[in-house]
Amino acid sequence: MPRLFRALIWVALSLLGAAAFAILALSRGETVSAAWVIVAAICTYVVAYRFYARFIATRVFGLDARRATPAERLSNGRDFVPTNKWVLFGHHFAAIAGAGPLVGPVLAAQFGFLPGTLWLVIGVVLGGAVQDFTILCCSVRRNGKSLGQMAREEINPLAGSTAMLAVLFIMIILLAVLALIVVNALKASPWGLFTIACTIPIALLMGWWMKSWRPGRIGEASLVGAVLLIAALVGGGWVASHPIGTAFTQSGTALTWMMMGYGFAASVLPVWMLLAPRDYLSTFLKIATIVVLAVAIMVILPPLRMPALTAFATLGEGPVFAGKFFPFVFITIACGAISGFHALVSSGTTPKMLSRETDARLIGYGGMLMESFVGVMAMIAACTLEPGVYFAMNTTPAALAGAADVLRQAGFVVTPDQMQALAAQVGEQTLIARTGGAPSLAVGIAHIFSGVSSALGGRAATALWYHFAIMFEALFILTTIDAGTRVGRFMLQEIVGHVWPRFGETSWYPSIVASSAVVVAGWGYFLYQGVVDPLGGINSLWPLFGISNQLLAAVALCVGTTILIKMGRARYSWVTLAPLAWIVTITMTAGWQKVFSADPKLGFLSHAASLAASTDPRASRLIFNDHLNTFVALLFMSVVALLVVVSIREWWLVLSQRKPAAVSEAPYVESRYAV
Amino acid sequence: MPSRDGGRGTREGALPLPTRIARVIRRIIGAPDYGAYLEHCRLAGHPPHLDERAYLNEFFASKGKGVRCC
Repeated sequence: MPRLFRALIWVALSLLGAAAFAILALSRGETVSAAWVIVAAICTYVVAYRFYARFIATRVFGLDARRATPAERLSNGRDFVPTNKWVLFGHHFAAIAGAGPLVGPVLAAQFGFLPGTLWLVIGVVLGGAVQDFTILCCSVRRNGKSLGQMAREEINPLAGSTAMLAVLFIMIILLAVLALIVVNALKASPWGLFTIACTIPIALLMGWWMKSWRPGRIGEASLVGAVLLIAALVGGGWVASHPIGTAFTQSGTALTWMMMGYGFAASVLPVWMLLAPRDYLSTFLKIATIVVLAVAIMVILPPLRMPALTAFATLGEGPVFAGKFFPFVFITIACGAISGFHALVSSGTTPKMLSRETDARLIGYGGMLMESFVGVMAMIAACTLEPGVYFAMNTTPAALAGAADVLRQAGFVVTPDQMQALAAQVGEQTLIARTGGAPSLAVGIAHIFSGVSSALGGRAATALWYHFAIMFEALFILTTIDAGTRVGRFMLQEIVGHVWPRFGETSWYPSIVASSAVVVAGWGYFLYQGVVDPLGGINSLWPLFGISNQLLAAVALCVGTTILIKMGRARYSWVTLAPLAWIVTITMTAGWQKVFSADPKLGFLSHAASLAASTDPRASRLIFNDHLNTFVALLFMSVVALLVVVSIREWWLVLSQRKPAAVSEAPYVESRYAV
Repeated sequence: MPSRDGGRGTREGALPLPTRIARVIRRIIGAPDYGAYLEHCRLAGHPPHLDERAYLNEFFASKGKGVRCC
């Protein structure tokens, strides 16, 4: 293809993307098709992948297809396995994509579709994808070392310990907030609870099948599991309309105890019994649903009913969560734009499976672009709902009353009859105050899927699609809770093991039980606090989750910057420094506002002060929670500050040649695959 | 000693299509694949160190230490 023609194609793509952004940004009042969001996102991804990712691969890291990767040099047929790049892309994507990119954009939709969409698309190409790609490149050059190991070796042991501590913090808050989403989705929902409860015996059956009865027959076990899962989904509708349904109609606090019991059991039971089979089921479901959702959105191209900007973006009194769009849209949408958690995968299994260094661009950068696209789809699903329905679903009655004037002025009104009709349509008792994001996302997905099934001449089956979406979300949230509780348990055993070696033995049962109980109690406490919170829990927990996740991103970007400087690539260090500066700015601003804001809806301390004279019997507990949240937020901020200072010191020492710029890369070995 | 295809599919092209599809799915979802391990040992020129049950035990143990993202 002639060079000029290729250049013209790239210019046309760039102009198309710019035009799509202009249409989204300049719309005021008129209906905008979701097609423009998709066009803007895809054009940006393609241009960024072609030019920016290529620049990082060739100029910044100098990736070399002739240099043997750890998968080749250390190949053992088990964890170090050279893998086809498209297969590894699927594996990496399945590991990084969870509930975060789905729920964050749904919550951020309270600001309108524009702020969240811009952050999802621009944030990923300049921040999230850069972080994942950078850490993958660094780990591949270091025999697949973990983020913590790289922080210890490249910065100093303090940074390594900070990284480990950050992972434990994020794990506790992450598990609490994800569990809260499931609890809010399953509260008073017999259909949903029955379906999710059935996944436990189904997973146990699959585990027994592939471990004991027919060892290694994953395909058979998964097929049986999938059939039983569909039966549980359909059977849930029957259960909900039967007197037995009362046994599956549970309150938030009852579900909290069930979740904690489940997390504890999943942590102490062998992996093959519950965790692994559930992981396989949820991975199948995740990939299939995301692909179908993408196709469905592109086929029906639903109109966006939410405006580009709502009054809450600048007023900061949103009923879903308090705070202005800066900095809270950047904290609320973490996983779809930048997620520190991904650095654990990019320095975990993926670098051990990469067959060629140059494939890192597709896996690291491309995989994160795909995750961002999932976030964009979630934003579209949320913004296709009537705004009145969206706010009624995502807001507690108290917060809704507080925002009633703004909602009325914006025309975001919905009657109780409309909400009741919608609840009946999806087979629920009520959809009012179903906070957490999952139910509103499920309604959005159900509308899109039922629109497609109707267009194809079938029944709309909205109730079935709604509960399918709930099952889809809950299943992989529970998978994260399984794995997260277990990893938290290992970390705690390792930490305590330094002072009591016996406790550090991961197979010693008293240690397993005690450490699992401590980790479950940790996230269970925050979960319970969220469930009983009159403001819905998401208001305080989701920002803490966002801050902790971005804290880990700061750790990863500090490691990446340090390695670039030590590689003699300081002139390119802006690639990681720019997103690091942004992450630190938003994390510190959000943390400061969450602690010290004078608005009791936003600031923990002012909220506690506002309750000081209250006669409400719950006041003392709420005040304690506010003080605990203050402590956690300040701890996160201190960790970020400490890490940045330690890193800057290291950069200064290297750049001023007071310390040798020694990198701990594995030696160059020519690849056997080189042609 | 790794195979020259490096997992990029040239050697696997010789396998029947259903086996190839099954292998791809297994790798994507992170499932154990004892057949692939035996193939690795054959190409590396050493006998398998693990029987199927030991391989599964080791695989599941290491899977329990992996993270799943948010």
